[in-house]
Amino acid sequence: MFKKKVTFKILLLLIASDILETTVHFFFKKSTLGANHGQVTDLATAAVLWKAVFCSPFFWVGLAAVVSVFVLWSLILSKIDLSVAVPIASFSYILVPVVSIIFLHEQITVLRWLGVFFVLAGVILVSLSSKERMEQAK
Amino acid sequence: MKEGLLLVLFLIALTSLCDTINQLFLKSTIDSLNFTPTFNIVKIFKFIFQLLITPRLWLGFVFSLISLCIWLVVLSKADLNFAFSADSMHYIFIALASRFVLKEKMGFNRWLGTGLIVVGIIFVSLS
Repeated sequence: MFKKKVTFKILLLLIASDILETTVHFFFKKSTLGANHGQVTDLATAAVLWKAVFCSPFFWVGLAAVVSVFVLWSLILSKIDLSVAVPIASFSYILVPVVSIIFLHEQITVLRWLGVFFVLAGVILVSLSSKERMEQAK
Repeated sequence: MKEGLLLVLFLIALTSLCDTINQLFLKSTIDSLNFTPTFNIVKIFKFIFQLLITPRLWLGFVFSLISLCIWLVVLSKADLNFAFSADSMHYIFIALASRFVLKEKMGFNRWLGTGLIVVGIIFVSLS
């Protein structure tokens, strides 16, 4: 029963996979910036973009991060429901603004704080729902 | 930008859908392996190996690859903020798929929590 709950260890795994996931997006975005893409309108221009992306080292670093995310994510899913794991993984929407404030001294708008609050409330609700279900199953 | 907006939204919906299908294959493969949670490295490697030799997982990977290719096109066309806010529909797809395909028991709190996250992400991404 206990191991199916969202424990502290699983939460740490989720945060780790979140941080990695963020680096994945960062590197993939970087890899598309290198490409001299105008507008992707059809398959031919899309192919040009993909070719440039595959030649970019950023893309391959991103791919290495993808592999790490896969291993972490498989471990997480072996312990908890998909409908619990995926919402909790949205933690990065809380992490990024907090990190931006502490390390980058960015100004965060009221709307963004409101969003962070909503995500946090949602994550807590979903985490609690997992425990509830387990107690009912007992 | 306006006529491109619908196309970008459609593409984002498509990546979300492909990603959801990938997650479904992954989760059902992991469930079928009956892996007991452990922090033993050797057992984890064995588990990952067993995962990788399951054909169903590779079917999921194909969808994941399609999703990645479309996502790269989306990133080149759209603003990262907008792309991420629209990508929040992914959470709705996952919740529906978990409920109806994997038959996970979704309580009221889990639906509400998922909904709050979607609203929150839209706020965070658009601000």
